[in-house]
Amino acid sequence: MHVFVASLLLLVASVHAKILTLQSPRFVVLDSQGQQSRSEPISLTQKSRNPVFLNATDTLKVTFQVVDKESGEGTQPHQTFLRFYDATTDEEGIQPIRVTQGGKAKLELNMARPPLSLPPTGDVPLQVMLYIGQPNFSPIAVELFDLHVPHSQPPPAHPDEASFHLLPEIHHIFRPDQKLPYKLVSAVFSGLVIAPWFLLVGLWSQVSPRLTHLFSPNVLPFILSLGAYEFLVFYYWVDLKLGQVLLCGGVLAIINLFTGKHALSSIAKRRLNKD
Amino acid sequence: MPPKSAQEKARSPVESLWKAYNEDTPDRLKFVDSFLLFLMLSGIIQFMYCVLVINYPFNAFLAGFASTVGQFVLTASLRSQVNPVNQGEFKDVSPERAFADFALGSIVLHFFVYNFLG
Repeated sequence: MHVFVASLLLLVASVHAKILTLQSPRFVVLDSQGQQSRSEPISLTQKSRNPVFLNATDTLKVTFQVVDKESGEGTQPHQTFLRFYDATTDEEGIQPIRVTQGGKAKLELNMARPPLSLPPTGDVPLQVMLYIGQPNFSPIAVELFDLHVPHSQPPPAHPDEASFHLLPEIHHIFRPDQKLPYKLVSAVFSGLVIAPWFLLVGLWSQVSPRLTHLFSPNVLPFILSLGAYEFLVFYYWVDLKLGQVLLCGGVLAIINLFTGKHALSSIAKRRLNKD
Repeated sequence: MPPKSAQEKARSPVESLWKAYNEDTPDRLKFVDSFLLFLMLSGIIQFMYCVLVINYPFNAFLAGFASTVGQFVLTASLRSQVNPVNQGEFKDVSPERAFADFALGSIVLHFFVYNFLG
């Protein structure tokens, strides 16, 4: 839609705009001796069928005069450019053309000293286009001819060019699965680890002191709160979050503090009385 | 010094040490000692498993081994503080105080061990 409106506006503007034309446009190819090897008029309506070949020592000369079509007077346009474009590499070069106040323009392209505006060239010819712009005149944009010039050095790579490529795909490498020991070995060591428990129970049954006061009301709460602590820590492993454990542990700590103080001081009192 | 009997001479030092321990150590300390022995054996077996077979659930090994070692240290210090022979060394530490320290240390240790267990 936007494109349509824009082109419509352009059409309206160009209907009202005055028209520029070129008088005696011409290009000449000169060799190193200054001899003309080719000389042709330029057509504004049709691109030249034969491409232009330039050797390393040749010179291309383009001349024309810009005139107002109505009055026939020469005018100096605001913008006058030649554009060299390589469609395969998308490289282009813009060469401004100096135009006199009378509208006369002359461009010399000496291949012995090629201008900086010429893009890097290869086997493919450059498309040469002429652009002329002037306020209140409809612009000129014509394709002149294809231009073969000697090969240039390949364009230098941009320093950051290497950063703009796909990186190799990331392959994650995982550690191989853990090998489990044989079931027999596992069973033997399970037995070995459990064995000290039997030893412990056996020894304790021999030397266990008599727990005379374990269930006295002074001591029992302390034992129970210690047991609650152990259960809390165990249950932390099974199901609880750290915050819950710290909260419950804090509450239990206060209980434990009082029960422990009471129980231990009662035991100490008994011990001192005995002494 | 009275001459020793032939029977006494034949007794090896280890044997006499064992006899002295059995006769002179209170039952409460033997109770603690058997727990220490249990912890030591348990730790040794876990360590052997880790070295000889596999350390695969390494966090579980760390938890198990650290619990035995830590509990051993706590229990050993409890034992040395409640031992009547050492009363001169720990004049300011009553047995009850020692037990309170032991309980607190054990709870903290168990909390860390369960964290490692995974």
